[in-house]
Amino acid sequence: MSGMFDLAIVGGGPAGQAAAEIACAAGLSVVMLDEQPRMGGQILRQPPRSLKVRDWLPGVTYRDLKAQLHRAEALDGLDWRGGVSVLGLFPRPDGLRLLASGRDGRQILEARHVLVAAGCYDMPVAFPGWTLPGVMSAGGVQAFIKSQQIVPGSRFVLSGTHPLQLLVADQLRKAGAEVAAVHFAQSMAAMAGQVLRDPLLPLGHPRPFRDAAAAFANLRRAGVPVRFGQRLVRARGSERLEAAEFADGTTIACDVLATCYGFLPQADLLRQAGCAMQRCARTGGFAAKVDRWQCTSIAGLGAAGETTGVAGAEVALREGRLAAIGVLLSDGLLSESEAEGRAAPIRRELGSLQRFADLLARIADPREAIAGLADDATILCRCEDVTRGALIRAISATAGPEDASALKLVSRAGMGVCQGRSCEHAVRALLAEHGAAPGSGFTARFPARPVAIADLID
Amino acid sequence: MSRRVASQHPGPILILVDGAEVIALPGEMLASALLAADKPVFRNDLEGKARGMFCNMGTCGECFVTVEVPGRPARRLRACLIPVEPGMKVQRG
Repeated sequence: MSGMFDLAIVGGGPAGQAAAEIACAAGLSVVMLDEQPRMGGQILRQPPRSLKVRDWLPGVTYRDLKAQLHRAEALDGLDWRGGVSVLGLFPRPDGLRLLASGRDGRQILEARHVLVAAGCYDMPVAFPGWTLPGVMSAGGVQAFIKSQQIVPGSRFVLSGTHPLQLLVADQLRKAGAEVAAVHFAQSMAAMAGQVLRDPLLPLGHPRPFRDAAAAFANLRRAGVPVRFGQRLVRARGSERLEAAEFADGTTIACDVLATCYGFLPQADLLRQAGCAMQRCARTGGFAAKVDRWQCTSIAGLGAAGETTGVAGAEVALREGRLAAIGVLLSDGLLSESEAEGRAAPIRRELGSLQRFADLLARIADPREAIAGLADDATILCRCEDVTRGALIRAISATAGPEDASALKLVSRAGMGVCQGRSCEHAVRALLAEHGAAPGSGFTARFPARPVAIADLID
Repeated sequence: MSRRVASQHPGPILILVDGAEVIALPGEMLASALLAADKPVFRNDLEGKARGMFCNMGTCGECFVTVEVPGRPARRLRACLIPVEPGMKVQRG
């Protein structure tokens, strides 16, 4: 126990940094916890200090984010705790208690306010062969380049529906990797159609679109095939990945297949605490419902960034600012009109950024691309090795399970170390397909991250 | 085959993976050292099929390995989140 913090921030990405900057400037005691050893979040996942990297994450996209990161790392009043996994959040009469674990065992902290800015993770999409070593999420591949200076293979195929894969492919290429192909499941016309529904929107210089276009041009210049309407159906290989196979029969030899279908909020802690959530229609997963100061349905508990719905770093950091201003307002350090005055320009920017984020989400909609991909022998729950066929048998059994949590109990799907993060959206979709009500997903259980039992007993 | 992109770093260290010496860079994550040593298989599933890295951000748990460092008991840890240390002993599976 280390006293009562004014604010505990879970997650050291752009949202958490932005909140920390404002809260520390107002003199609050702030602690920030993150599983990574260094601050940055996934977007700015930093290399270890021992690796000197020249020209790390160049370009205008990262410039402002890096400036904020450097300011946040230099904050005097910030108690930074890297390499720490937050396992649970427990509302208390005067604040919240956090239970966390790190290399030195468990930590219990208390804070009057908690902000969960835990980011998102790549949507795990099940298809035949997806458990082969070499099939990875695109974000995972990107993190190897960004933070580890590792090109995690020699010949890469990127496949999915999300334009981020263009950026990852371009970063791979620049790091000297061979990119055999970048395949989008949707047609170019379908993507353009989404843009044309709101034709003036992309002219407003949104970074994600400019970056994707620049990466596309780089890849084309470098001779990397970028194709549309190419739906991934299978990964082939025995002990490790050997090729990616597409719906038209095309097979491309590769030792890494990076899939990129979108992102799900890291929302376990909030679900566990009992916050009101909303379902993400396109990708599955759940996002926290928040009010105009980023407060969840639980007093003292806020959420910002991808945890409230995946919309990118530019939205995240502004939500982090709003959350911190809200904390100052609730502590009486700002008057209502002062808080509204500081929030007004942020809210205006958020309005237009959110429209771009919505457009990107529509373009990247994975539902059509992934429908029917898994066959009955495909593992949906990677932790407990539960196949789609086994789940269908469990659903179809007399008086079959009514919702995801009931199905978990009879099938073990969702019972493993990932706490259902990998399979929940697929299990819910399968239940819906079979006429059952998927409900609110698996009941979120402690701990949000795996921990040795010995660490919990003191 | 994975490979490291040139960067300035202190001298490499040795770790033991299933009894064999593997060269690692101080500060890098265990998962990186395993991939750079061309060891993409981290475990076998219930059917004996090979499994490896998947999310690389602590979320999926596919990279669990048994890790022992001098002076500490062996633990099951996510290789994507654990920096290598000299004398680290790792068992896959």
